[in-house]
Amino acid sequence: MQTGTKISVAGHGLLVAWALAGGWFHSDPLPFQSQDVSIISAEEFARLSEQRAAPVVAEVPVAPVAPNVPSVAESTPSIPDRPEPAPVAPADQPRPIETPVEEAEPEPPAPEPTPEVPSLVPDAPAVPEPVRDLPQTAEPEAARPTDRVAPEPVKPPEPDTQVDEIAREAIAPDDGGEAPQPVQDATAPEAASDRIVTEAEAENAEPTAPLATSRPKSRPASAAPQRPVAPETPAASEPQSAQSDEKTEPAAEPTPEVESSAVDEALAQALSGAGEVQADDPSGPPMTEGERDALRIAVSQCWNVGSLSSEALRTTVVVAMSLSREGVPDSGSIRMLSSSGGSQGAATQAYEAARRAIMRCGAKGFDLPTDKYGQWRDIEMTFNPERMRIK
Amino acid sequence: MRNALATLFLGLSMLLPIAGAPGQAQAQDGPLRIEITDGVIEPLPFATPDFIADTPAASQYAADIARVIASDLVGSGLFREIPKVAYISSYSDFDAAVNFTDWKAINAQALITGAVNVSGDRISVRFRAYDVFAGQELGSGLQLSGTAEGWRRIAHKVADTIYSRLTGEGGYFDSRVVFVSETGPKNDRKKRLAIMDYDGANVQYLTSSNDIVLAPRFSPTGDRVLYTSYESGFPQIHVLDVGKVQRRILSAGNGIMSFAPRFAPDGQTVVYSQSEGGNSDLYSMNINSGATQRLTSAPSIETAPSFSPDGSQIVFESDRSGASQLYIMAATGGEAKRISFGQGRYGTPVWSPRGDYIAFTKQNAGRFHIGVMRTDGSEERLLTASFLDEGPTWSPNGRVIMFTRETQGAAGQARLYSVDVSGRNLKPVKTPDGASDPSWSPLQK
Repeated sequence: MQTGTKISVAGHGLLVAWALAGGWFHSDPLPFQSQDVSIISAEEFARLSEQRAAPVVAEVPVAPVAPNVPSVAESTPSIPDRPEPAPVAPADQPRPIETPVEEAEPEPPAPEPTPEVPSLVPDAPAVPEPVRDLPQTAEPEAARPTDRVAPEPVKPPEPDTQVDEIAREAIAPDDGGEAPQPVQDATAPEAASDRIVTEAEAENAEPTAPLATSRPKSRPASAAPQRPVAPETPAASEPQSAQSDEKTEPAAEPTPEVESSAVDEALAQALSGAGEVQADDPSGPPMTEGERDALRIAVSQCWNVGSLSSEALRTTVVVAMSLSREGVPDSGSIRMLSSSGGSQGAATQAYEAARRAIMRCGAKGFDLPTDKYGQWRDIEMTFNPERMRIK
Repeated sequence: MRNALATLFLGLSMLLPIAGAPGQAQAQDGPLRIEITDGVIEPLPFATPDFIADTPAASQYAADIARVIASDLVGSGLFREIPKVAYISSYSDFDAAVNFTDWKAINAQALITGAVNVSGDRISVRFRAYDVFAGQELGSGLQLSGTAEGWRRIAHKVADTIYSRLTGEGGYFDSRVVFVSETGPKNDRKKRLAIMDYDGANVQYLTSSNDIVLAPRFSPTGDRVLYTSYESGFPQIHVLDVGKVQRRILSAGNGIMSFAPRFAPDGQTVVYSQSEGGNSDLYSMNINSGATQRLTSAPSIETAPSFSPDGSQIVFESDRSGASQLYIMAATGGEAKRISFGQGRYGTPVWSPRGDYIAFTKQNAGRFHIGVMRTDGSEERLLTASFLDEGPTWSPNGRVIMFTRETQGAAGQARLYSVDVSGRNLKPVKTPDGASDPSWSPLQK
C-alpha cells in the first residue's frame, strides 16, 4: 500500500471515529436568548403608537354631611318588604310607560307606630333645630322691587375700550412657549392599586403610644394575685401549622359536576358545530406566548376586584366569549362556563366583574393578530383572584 | 470504499438530531384558553343623577336622597361617584330607555336612577340600578315608602340594596351606632351615652353626664343597649330600652363589680365579667330570670367576652399566660384555647357577624393597633397604627370596623374612626363632640 493511500485511510478513519464519538467531547452550546419578533406594517405601528384617550373622570367632592341633630322624637318610616320585581325591559328597547315598580307596590302598609321617645335626660344640652345634613340648593331670593324708570337720567357708561394713540407692535406667539400639558392617566385613578397597604404596614413612625390606655378601664384596676406565671406552652406552631396546612391545600379543584357539565357543553358545541372556525377564517400559526400575554395584560387592566365581596374574591370563574375580527367581544356570547370556590351568588358577582373587564377593555377591540383570527375567535378566560385576595 | 463511507455519512446525517427552534407557539386545540390572575383594586365608578321629582314638593327630597345614596356608596370606599359635569346624557324620565353608550363614554360602570313622590307626609322612592357595560338592569326596580321625616332611612335602604347588588354582600347603611359622647378636658371629662345613624347623623343622648358610663353594647335586635355605669360608685351593668329610654340594673349582687357585658345572639343571655376579691371571671346571666352561671374560675383576669354568631363559643381576653391574650371556649364554659401568639398584648376581641374573623386591639412596641385574625388565630392582620386605638365593633355585614382613636397630649380627644376589613378606607366618623366605645347595631327592620 502506498504512503498516500495509508494517509488517506488513516485520515478517513479518524474522520469516521470523530463522527461516531465526537458527541462525547463537544461542549455545551453557549446560552442564548430568543425573542419573538412580529412584523407589523407601518399603519399598524402608527395605530399602536397613538395615545388612547381615556375619558377624564374627575373626583367628585362628597357632599359635606353636617351633623344632623333632629328632635329626639324619631319617626321610623315604614319600609315595606321588597315588592314584586319589575320586569326588565330589553336594554335597547324603549321602556313601557307604565311604571312596573309602582305596580309592584300599589299601596305601602301603614307605618308602624313608633313610640314617642320621651325627653331623655334632664341635663341634656339643648338640641338644636333639625338641620338638613345635605347641601341645600340655593333658595331663589325674592326679587327686590325696583323702579321701572329711573327718577333721574343716568350718564351713559364709559366705552369699554378706547383706541390708544400709541401704536404697539403685535405680540407674536412664542413657538416654544406652550404650557406643558399635564399627563392624563389613561386608565386607573390614583386610588387604583394592585395591593392593599394598611396603616399599620405603611407607617413606620417612632413608637409614641402610652404603655397602657389612659381611658377608664372596662374592668377594675384590681389585678389577679401575683403569682409565678407558668410558662405557657407557646404552641406558636399551632396557628402556623394550621395556616400552612391551609396554604398547602391544593387549589380548589373543579367539582366533577362542573367538569362533566363543561365536557357536556363542549360535546354539545362540537356536535352542533358551534364554535367551529369557519372555513374562511384564517388560522395562521398558533398564538405565541407574547400574544397571549398581551391579551392577558389587556384584560387584567380592567379587571377591578375592589368592590367584590370577600367570598367573591375566593371564587374562580371561567368565562367564554367570541370575538369579532376586530377583536371586539360579542356581548351576547359572554357566558360563565363554570365556577369554583364560592356560592352561586359569589360566582355571579365574580362573573359580572369579569364581564365588565372584558367589555371595558375590549370595547375598542383587543390587539390580536388578524391572520390568526381562527385561533382567537373563541376564548375561554379563567379569572382566578387568588393573588388579589385579602390575606 | 467510497460508497461505504458515503453511506455511512448519509446515515449519520440522518441520525443527527434536528435542532429546531424552541416552540414559541403551541399547538392549540379548541378555544384559546387564558388565565387572568392579576387585576386592579379601585373604587367602582358610578353615576347617580338627581332623582326625578314627581311633584314639586318632592324636588328637595329627590336631590337630597340621591346625595345620601351617593354619600353612602362613596363612603364605603368601594365606589366612586362620577361628577355631574361629566354627564353626557340627561336624565328626565324614570321609565325612559337608558342610553348606555353615553354612560360608557364617561366610564360609569353602574348607573342609579330614581324618582320621588310626596303625598302629604308620605314619601315613596322608586329606583333602578344598571350595569352599564353589560347594558342591563341589576336586579329589578324597587319602591320604598315611609314618612317624609324618615327620608334618610329610605335613602340608606336604597343604598343598601344597591350595595348588595353590586358587591354580592349585605349592606350596612341603615344602621345605628351607640357610643359614649365625651365633652370637657381630659381630667374632667363628661360622658353620656348617645346614639346616632352610622354616618353620624341624628345624634340623640340617652343618659345624663352625671355618672361615668362605659362600653355600650347593642342587643341582636337593636332595641336594647347594655352598658356599664359607675352611678352607684362601682361598676354595674344596666340594660336600656332604646325606644322607651327606660333602664334597669342587671345586678349580680350588692357590692359586686360587674362590667364588660355583651348579649348572646339569642338576646336573652348576657355574658359579662364579675370581680370578687380581686379576681375577675366570666359569668352568664339570663336577662329575664336573673339566673347566673360561672363560666371561668381562674386566678387571672378574664374579661371582654364576645359570642360567636351561632352562640356556641365565646372569645375573651385573659392574662393567665402573663400578658393579655385572646382565648376561645364553649359558651357554657370549660377549657379555653389560646388563639393569639404574636408579640404584644391583645384585648377587646369581637367576633365578626359573618363568623370568619375576630377583631381585636393590640398593643405592641409602643403603638396600638386594630387588627383582625381568623378564629383559629391565623392570618393576623393589623389594620391601623396610632397613639391609641381600641374598642373595635363590626358593621352588620362584617365588612367595616369602627373603633376609638385618641390623640396624644393634654388636648387629646377621643374620636370614632372606621376602616374596611381589608385595611383600606380609614376615615373619621363625624360626631358633634368627642366619642368613644362605639357599638354597631344590626340592620334596622
